[in-house]
Amino acid sequence: MKLGKMAWRNLWRRKRRTYITALSIGFGVLLSVTFTGVADDSYTKMINTSATMGLGHVTIEPGGYNETPSLDKRLANASSIRDVLLSMAGVNNALARIMGQAMIASANKSIGGAFIAVDPVEESGGLNLFIRSIVQGQVFSGSDGQGVLVGARVAKKLNIGIGKKLVYTTTDVNGEIVSEIARVTGIFETGVSEVDGSMILLPIDRVRKILGYGPQDATLISIVITDQRRVASMRDQIRSRIDDPDLEVLSWRETQSDLASIITLDKAGNRIIQLLISLLIAAGILNTLLMSVMERTREFGVMMAVGMSPSTLFRLVIMESIWFAVLGLILGIIITTPWYIFMHNHGIDFSGMVGNDYSASGVLIDPLVKITMYKESVTGILTGLFTLTMLSGIYPAWRAGHVPPVESLKEL
Amino acid sequence: MDDQSIVRLEDASKYYRQGEVDVRAVDGLSFEIHKGDFTALCGPSGSGKTTVLNLIGGLDVPTGGRVYLEGQDIGLLSRSKISAIRRDRIGFVFQAYNLIPVMTAYENAAFVLTLQCVPERECRERVMSVLRDVGLDGLEHRRPDEMSGGQQQRVAIARAIVTRPAIVLADEPTANVDSANADSLLRLMERLNHESAITFLFSTHDQRVMDRAHRIIRLHDGKMESDEVLT
Repeated sequence: MKLGKMAWRNLWRRKRRTYITALSIGFGVLLSVTFTGVADDSYTKMINTSATMGLGHVTIEPGGYNETPSLDKRLANASSIRDVLLSMAGVNNALARIMGQAMIASANKSIGGAFIAVDPVEESGGLNLFIRSIVQGQVFSGSDGQGVLVGARVAKKLNIGIGKKLVYTTTDVNGEIVSEIARVTGIFETGVSEVDGSMILLPIDRVRKILGYGPQDATLISIVITDQRRVASMRDQIRSRIDDPDLEVLSWRETQSDLASIITLDKAGNRIIQLLISLLIAAGILNTLLMSVMERTREFGVMMAVGMSPSTLFRLVIMESIWFAVLGLILGIIITTPWYIFMHNHGIDFSGMVGNDYSASGVLIDPLVKITMYKESVTGILTGLFTLTMLSGIYPAWRAGHVPPVESLKEL
Repeated sequence: MDDQSIVRLEDASKYYRQGEVDVRAVDGLSFEIHKGDFTALCGPSGSGKTTVLNLIGGLDVPTGGRVYLEGQDIGLLSRSKISAIRRDRIGFVFQAYNLIPVMTAYENAAFVLTLQCVPERECRERVMSVLRDVGLDGLEHRRPDEMSGGQQQRVAIARAIVTRPAIVLADEPTANVDSANADSLLRLMERLNHESAITFLFSTHDQRVMDRAHRIIRLHDGKMESDEVLT
């Protein structure tokens, strides 16, 4: 009889114990998928949301801009760089933008804030969170007009509404103070109070004129890529395509280091939890296999007496742990699939518990918790649990082969 | 050692400690077993019968003296070499049958051949032939829990002889079966010894075994009391 067949039959000597152990592995699959899937889904949403808040997944900007942003640092040839970027595979869009600080004033009050100057023709809700979050009015129509889109809390603080005027004041390329009047065309509400309370969107060509920028100038090019997981390789590809020592090509991890730190910390916590769960599952498997080995001490003695070598006995028990792993993973897939389908398509809405303003590092976190699994995560979970089960079998397998047959035969 | 000698013990001893007491399970034992022998090791419980079988079978190592199997000093061999010798040259029959419960009669009998990597067709022919020899024709698909004690011991004998070993070591083979089955098993082993020249060494205190043995070695407190060749 082949070792695999024998190991399979050994598994079924105590059916209930086998099912319980396999279920614990299956439960491990469910927990791992849930933890990993929720994290992957929320990280992807946070990263993608953050990418539509101005900087993109990858940003091209003048050298030193990231450390000390200033309106006198600018790209002179944004349009031609953009054309190069749009021809690259994996780039969803690339948008020239001017970002800066401004004083925003109405007839009643003034506040400190920030602006992003955009071309409304190129922008869309999918690429721009502020346009996506418009709750009143609409985005300004031309890139050279005097329209402005304001955050809901800005409007509230300045006591202005649609059609009302505001004045924004900033510094131009020469460091001179410049001002411009704009009329509110729309109000957005992202749900992140610090953003809604400080941000305005302006037409890019109008801002270029005020700042003394050339017609192709911008402070940065914001690049949205199709798959945020490939950001490092996309950044490197873009860097080699642009090949300009005066420009910096940075990923969101570099431009938004706070968000990157939060995600890294969260991932670390998640891994610790998964490790603890894995250890619990491993302890269960180890216990089952060890009991199963100890119950068969005499039988193993007989096997060795009739000529089975300790190494073959070791392989037999390892084979049993492999079967446990296969059975557990199949059970895991069976119990996890309906859960995954539900959580991926519908999810659980926690907005009642956390409210609508739930953000981290200025990035909105969706209170609708869903699960999204990537191929590499699925492979990682299945491989990890398979390896864990196999490793749990090593000590029982070693023990099986190391009891001298004469001692084993004395066992009842 | 002559050509016909399969087993030779030279002043073999096995001492071990049990609590505060030194036990001399085998104490300076010397004898030879020849090809075709049908020998019984007799003696009361604790006389060292099973220990002698364990030493010859390489399941235990002597604390003194030497044990040779087909000219090889078992005490000098590595674990893997001893495993190979047990697999290829020795057949074991235990008092409590010790079949593998998840295997059928056929699979139990074929177990050692599988370890030897004998081709499947040859394995099948040899196992079926041996099962016929031990009177289990038609029962090859039964698992141990579906067979009587006598039938299980026949499977154990089939497992022991299917590899054509140099010697079969049988530890109280009739102790767990009724007298009818014991007689039948003894006739079977006698026939295998007679027709196939398989060497048997029994440990026993069953008079029926002693009555059929060609030679009786009597042990007492680990020492040889007598060595009697019967005609």
